[in-house]
Amino acid sequence: MTVAAAGSLPGEAVPVAKGRPALAAALRHPAALLLLPACVAVAAGLLLPILYLLALSLNPPVTGEVALAGELTLRNYARLLDWFYFSVLLRTLWVSAVTTAISTVLGVAVAHSLWRTPPHRRGLLVVVVLAPLLVSIVARTFGWMLLLGDQGLVNAVLLRLGLVEAPLHLMFTQGAVIVGLVHVFLPFMVLSVLAAYDRIDPAIPEAAGTLGAGPFTVFRETILPLLNPGIAAGVTIVFSLAMSSYVTPALMGGSGAGVLTTLIYQQLVVTYDWHFAAALVAVLLASTLLLLGAVLYHNARRTRAWMTRPGSAPR
Amino acid sequence: MIRMLQRGAFRALVGATYLFLLAPLACVVLVSFNGEAVQSFPPASWSLRWYAHAWAQESFRGGLLVSTLLACGAALIATPLAVAAALGLHRSRWRGRPALEALLLAPLVVPGIVIGISLLIALAALDVREAPLRLLIGHTVAILPYGVRTVLASLARLDPALDEAAETLGAGGWARFRHVTLPLIRPGILAGLVFGLILSFDDVSVSLFLADARTNTLPLAIMSYLEYSFDPSVAAISSMLIAVTLGLAVLLERGFGLKRLLAG
Repeated sequence: MTVAAAGSLPGEAVPVAKGRPALAAALRHPAALLLLPACVAVAAGLLLPILYLLALSLNPPVTGEVALAGELTLRNYARLLDWFYFSVLLRTLWVSAVTTAISTVLGVAVAHSLWRTPPHRRGLLVVVVLAPLLVSIVARTFGWMLLLGDQGLVNAVLLRLGLVEAPLHLMFTQGAVIVGLVHVFLPFMVLSVLAAYDRIDPAIPEAAGTLGAGPFTVFRETILPLLNPGIAAGVTIVFSLAMSSYVTPALMGGSGAGVLTTLIYQQLVVTYDWHFAAALVAVLLASTLLLLGAVLYHNARRTRAWMTRPGSAPR
Repeated sequence: MIRMLQRGAFRALVGATYLFLLAPLACVVLVSFNGEAVQSFPPASWSLRWYAHAWAQESFRGGLLVSTLLACGAALIATPLAVAAALGLHRSRWRGRPALEALLLAPLVVPGIVIGISLLIALAALDVREAPLRLLIGHTVAILPYGVRTVLASLARLDPALDEAAETLGAGGWARFRHVTLPLIRPGILAGLVFGLILSFDDVSVSLFLADARTNTLPLAIMSYLEYSFDPSVAAISSMLIAVTLGLAVLLERGFGLKRLLAG
């Protein structure tokens, strides 16, 4: 309210006491009654529990205790500075970043080829790309365990071709986790980039081609700048999903490839340190939401700047 | 010449990516028909014995029952809530509308593992420790936004003149909803329902901390089975999951369009 009052001109009516009557009026409206059950469900099932978790993360750690205490401390967060936990955080960020980078390159390539495909053949290919999203993540990860295991297909092929003497240990490594994560999240990147492709006027790259630009130049100079919002959205989604994924690192990562989520699992299920786990969850949530907010803010600003300056294309 | 090389390299990259996307799924299906006790490529003989073995596992059968009941329960609770909320959002001209929409779609941006843990801790503080109830609340909240989104998308394409015409002809609010709005938004409702079923059935991250030893979902049962043994029965049960979800995916693509559903 003070912010709103400070921002308004002197003499202009400030809607100070409008909140309560507006709410009462809204409640009499049928739309409010329709919205009420779902809003209560999300508030009670998501919002309040998260707030409770954040409050708990500020309490001093007591093993197995879930009731809130009066004493506030940052001790749970300070533990993250311990090198062991800090390295887990760094590893999580690194694995997510590599996953996102690979997904971006492959996702743009697949989206580009889908965009080039004539519409009547496109439907089936879209299903091929998107259907894995609907297949259980456990089944998909198990598929990679079959492919990358010591007796797996990849090793069988390498041995038969005589490229290696003994099976390579591909499973239970950081590389295996990244391969699994790219597989699981690539469709999200394709979707985001494809949405940006759908808004491109095909006349633009055609014109560039007519003017003598090669396919790669056409792509780099005319298509790629227009894909930026889609890529930004895809990067956000893939990065935050990779940060918070549990199944793939738990099944495909080795003991030395622990990430934030497997550490949280350990704290909750093995050591019962719920306060520290709450702090770790807070870090996970904050990094996800900050990234999301930054991209949304950036996109919104760019869209606004573009809309207020007619004649210039969004970059 | 360079252009041809570029084009060839691009095609190879895209082809390799499609192979990359499909290889693990194909591999799972192939191994499930393996007749041997060990997993080897290519399988030396073929049989359905691992399907029988998977079916004989108590944990898989129990997990299948829990997952089915949970998915149906969560989808049946979430769908009416989502339809009502989407109708409310669609009609609302209130200033707070964007905030309410953000609240309803919030479960989309909160990682599943965060939903699960915060519910576990908050409910434990209230001394609620029944796994079925915890799972039902978690799954309902997690799938709710998908229903809201698909129904909102259907409502956005609705011609307001139809509703006005019905009103002019004297139809009341309920009659207009029942005979005009509902038939037109039915594809959106069904898409949200089916998508919710799939998401709930396949979920691991929300359930991970909400399930317990007595109430375990199928994906979690498969995960814990994988920790102790690595035989083709997991491939058999995974193949069944793939078949069911792909069947539902084709249904969704026909009825609503997968791309529209997933991209929102």
